[in-house]
Order: sequence, then C-alpha cells, then structure tokens
Amino acid sequence: MGFADLRERLLRGGVAPRHVRRYLRELNEHLDDLTAQQHQAGYDGEDAAMRARARLGGDDELAAAMLAQKRFRSWTARAPWAVFLFLPPIAAIAIGFLFIGSTVLIGKYFGFLGRHASLPPHWFQLLATDLVAACNLTAVPLSAILFVAIAGRQRLKLIWPLAATLVLLLLFIHSDVDFALHGKSRLMVGAAPLFARDGLRMLAGNWPSSVAQYVLTLLPLLWLWRRRLAKV
Amino acid sequence: MTENSSFMSGLPELAILRLLQDQEMYGYEIVQAIALRTGAVVSPGEGVIYPLLQGLEKSGALKSRRKTVSGRSRVYYSLTAKGAKRLGLLSGRWNDLNGAVTALMAGGALGVR
Repeated sequence: MGFADLRERLLRGGVAPRHVRRYLRELNEHLDDLTAQQHQAGYDGEDAAMRARARLGGDDELAAAMLAQKRFRSWTARAPWAVFLFLPPIAAIAIGFLFIGSTVLIGKYFGFLGRHASLPPHWFQLLATDLVAACNLTAVPLSAILFVAIAGRQRLKLIWPLAATLVLLLLFIHSDVDFALHGKSRLMVGAAPLFARDGLRMLAGNWPSSVAQYVLTLLPLLWLWRRRLAKV
Repeated sequence: MTENSSFMSGLPELAILRLLQDQEMYGYEIVQAIALRTGAVVSPGEGVIYPLLQGLEKSGALKSRRKTVSGRSRVYYSLTAKGAKRLGLLSGRWNDLNGAVTALMAGGALGVR
C-alpha cells in the first residue's frame, strides 16, 4: 500500500529526487487524513485503508500529474551529457583544491610558503607530501563516487556514470608538491590528459598510486553495475 | 481558442488560488473545500493536487511553510502578491468566458444575416 512503485516511476521519468520526496511525503500525509476520515465514516482496518487509497488516486494518475510538470525534472534528466561529462573533472579538481588549500593554509600560517621563505621544516614537507598523496588517491575516486551515486539515485542508464568515470580516468587529475629555497616551493592540482605526453609521463612516474587511483575510481561503477544486475 | 483551452485546463489552478485568497490551507483541506464548494463536480484523484501546488509555489504564486497543528505536521500554502495578480487575471478570463457561455446558452434570434 506504499508508494514504492510510484517513486520508481517518477525517478525513472526524470523527476528530481527532492521533488519526489516532497510529493510522496505530502501524499502520505493526505492518505493519513483520508484514512482517518474513513474511520470516522465507520470503516476500519484494511477496508478504510483501501478506500482512502482509492480516493487519493491510482499510481498512473498520480505519476502522470507529476510528470506533466516539466519544471520538476532534474538537470541530469534535462542535460545528462553536461552533468556527467563536464562536472566530474570540476568536482575532482575542487576536491583536490580542498587538500591543496589546507596544505597552503598550514604553510602560510607557519610562514613556510612566503615569497622569501626558506626551505620548510621536514615535518611540513612530510605533511604536504602525504596530503598530496592522499589527494591523488582520493580526489578522483570521490568524484566518481559522487556521480555514480547521483546516477544510482536518479535511476539513470549506466552509460552516464560510465562516461563520467572514463572522463575522470582519461583526464588523470593529479596534484604535485615540490619544495625549494626562496619561495620557489609549489603546490599544484591540475589535469594532464592521458593522451598527452605529460600525462603518460606522470602516470609512469607514479604508477603504484596511479593504479590504486584507477582501481578506486572504477569500483563505484562496478558496484552500481552489480547492483543493477542483482535487481534484474 | 488556444487561450480558452488552456484556461479550461487551468480550472483547478483558479480554484486553488481563490481558496487560498481567504486563508492558508494544507492540501487535504483544499481538496475538501473544492469538493464542498463545487458539489463534488470538480473532484479529481485527490493526490494530483500536490504537483499543482508545488508548481504554483515554484512559479511564485504560492508560498508554503510546515506547521504542526494538533500534533500533525503539514505543509500549509498561502497566496503571494504574484498569486493574487494571477488570480485576478484568471478570474477576469473566467468571467468573460462565463458571460459568453451564458449568452450563448440563452439562445434567441441572432440578429445577423
């Protein structure tokens, strides 16, 4: 007697999850009122529940009413190519900046990264190197998790999270740290496309972490694929 | 013709805006009030009112707030200035159409050749 089927139909129809959630919540509240009304009219138990549900409307009618409101369609339904091709690298770079930004803040706080700063102490070099390594290992996989989760939540075809994952893998978003005297230290995050010479060189130079990064990036997609297979 | 067709399909919208002109109401209340005032002539599946309410809210004609009354938490809707303007527009169109249909149904000599 719940709304599980209606929920699936709306999500598959491209309605944004937040609108689906609100719609179902209001339907549930309305159903409670209708059921109470049926109880007052002398019906009880299953009978009251069935009569209330009939008055609320069938799944076809309720789904059609929501699907007719095009303004409730999610961006992933309107322009999935934009969401899954352009946003994943931006998200990965943004996550990368969180790591690099925190390193820069610590460095600036202690005066290690100023224009005339001397070589930072060993502990900071170690911290920065570890943060950059963590960034390389997690930024791209976290972005992949985000877009696979969006695709899963909105019941999108597997082609879209696959596209997002491939874009992330091909762009090889990477961070780097280098310490030198007289403010020549640098912390960076960027993308080096695999088909470019720099990308291949960086991949070869950091192959253990690159392999780990690639495997972690592919895992969310494999999880979604297995989940979909299990449901069939 | 197109405008009139879209107007007829906008009848529930007119009813909602008119009801909310007087007071804020929640979905169940609105449906019951529509059925009561129209003698149940206008009574779709009750749940279909929510996409309409949310659509009107998104267009700025309505605003909503969650309120707990007698232990029940519900979304209450009320009319905005934009909604009042929209109601005025729809009411005007309805009155025109109503007058036209009344004149048409009254029959009599056409007075044209």
